[in-house]
Amino acid sequence: MSPLAYAASLSGAMWRRSLLEIVRVRGALLPTTLAPILFLLGTTGQFGSLTDLQGFPTDSYLAWIVPLSCMQGAGFAGGATGANLARDIEQGWFDRMLTSPAPRPLLLAGPVLGAMTRALVPTTIVLCTGLVLGAGLPGGVLGLLALYLSAVWLCMVMALWGCSLALRAGTQQVGPLIQNGVFLAVFLSTAYTPQVLLNGWLGTFAEYNPVTYVLQMARQATVDGIDPSWSHTWPGLLALVGMTAFFGFFALRELGRMGK
Amino acid sequence: MGARVNGRVVAALAARAIRVQFRRAQFLIPAFMLPLVLLAVIASGTSAARGLPQFPDTGAYVGFVVGGTLMQGALLAGLTAGIALAGDIEGGFFDRLLTAPVQRVSIVLGRVAAACALGTVQGIVFLGVAFLFGARYSGGVAGVGVAITLGALTAGSLAGLACAIALRTGSLSLLQNLFPLTFVLLFTAPAFFPRELLNPTAEAIATYNPLAYIVEGIRAALFDDPGLGDSGLGLLVGAGLVLATTGLADLAMRRRLATQ
Repeated sequence: MSPLAYAASLSGAMWRRSLLEIVRVRGALLPTTLAPILFLLGTTGQFGSLTDLQGFPTDSYLAWIVPLSCMQGAGFAGGATGANLARDIEQGWFDRMLTSPAPRPLLLAGPVLGAMTRALVPTTIVLCTGLVLGAGLPGGVLGLLALYLSAVWLCMVMALWGCSLALRAGTQQVGPLIQNGVFLAVFLSTAYTPQVLLNGWLGTFAEYNPVTYVLQMARQATVDGIDPSWSHTWPGLLALVGMTAFFGFFALRELGRMGK
Repeated sequence: MGARVNGRVVAALAARAIRVQFRRAQFLIPAFMLPLVLLAVIASGTSAARGLPQFPDTGAYVGFVVGGTLMQGALLAGLTAGIALAGDIEGGFFDRLLTAPVQRVSIVLGRVAAACALGTVQGIVFLGVAFLFGARYSGGVAGVGVAITLGALTAGSLAGLACAIALRTGSLSLLQNLFPLTFVLLFTAPAFFPRELLNPTAEAIATYNPLAYIVEGIRAALFDDPGLGDSGLGLLVGAGLVLATTGLADLAMRRRLATQ
């Protein structure tokens, strides 16, 4: 077997194992799907009139929030990978993996790929809920592609963040820290209002938060005032590449340190 | 058994519940950290709402939204009371309590009293933090006292409900999964925005959500402004809820004992 075929086969096996979680753990996807939907409904009900403000790029707050809720669901799905890895470490299963002749990075590739696949579920359910409630898809196919790419890639970033922490701490108690990190990354951005309407410290923070640009990329699907274009896409792609490199480096470093 | 003895039993059980609460970080993070993080995000992320013509003038925006934070913290404090009781049931401590010569209702009252006490501490912390960040309460010390009392009553109300569910089901995992319920209750009340600015569906639902009257009462008390709500009505609703949910929990206790 060539090294490439071996890597693909091993990652595939780990990916399938990660997906088994959906079938075997009843309601495993419920928190990552239900929470964003509740958030979508609640936030739209509370803050819907913010669209009356000058500078708001759409008159539908639902359209503004749907991509955020998709990112939230995908981010939590990614974070859950870290929590699952922490469980595997605590129960000794990961130690058995480490003694195998498999290259270590491949041990992470499977769960991360599994998270990216799982992220499609909350993203699709939240998007469909938004569409049923009246958020349109003015961005068409290109916008939709941007939304899914943002969600799946952000999920990978959050999975790498979660895995870094899980490998570092080696205990399931790190779970809340992982999910709080996802929460803060997503919400300390242009979550509720566009950059021009953000005041104070959050305005400054959001400008430097890479998730702000990922959200802009995703909003090309549903927000009238953010039409699909390269100028709305490349900052998001750059942010995702940067975050992947950053958290990927830390995850691999922690993985390399394990057992030494 | 005299009222004094019952009072001492309730106080002892409440003190134990509070000690356990402060010993376990997993109980304190949702009760204190999460509401403060959401306060920071909402106070900064939606502060442009002050530009809306119907938005009431309450000085710093954080002062307006802190009422919602008080509610959120209180709901989470109430829920953790139920989670802790379910933990006692699963761990066997509840059965040991039943063998003690105390009135059964004291067990529930201890939990409700502890939640009220925790709600009081939360009120002081949250209003203090908001004050540090610019909120000024024109209702003075009396207004702050009423707001804290309303928060404490909310915590007691949800504690009663959560204890009823814990006693009825005895399931810790069910209680832990009720976390989204607090968001449903919060977002179907005018927690962070005035009722007039909610979207029509949320506004219609808010009429039937008793928490709407409590949060409006908190704002009316904090800013001594009857245009923001009716603090007397809020107190009445809060006290009524505590009585009703504690009654439910007592009923659940009787049913549990009858079937054991």
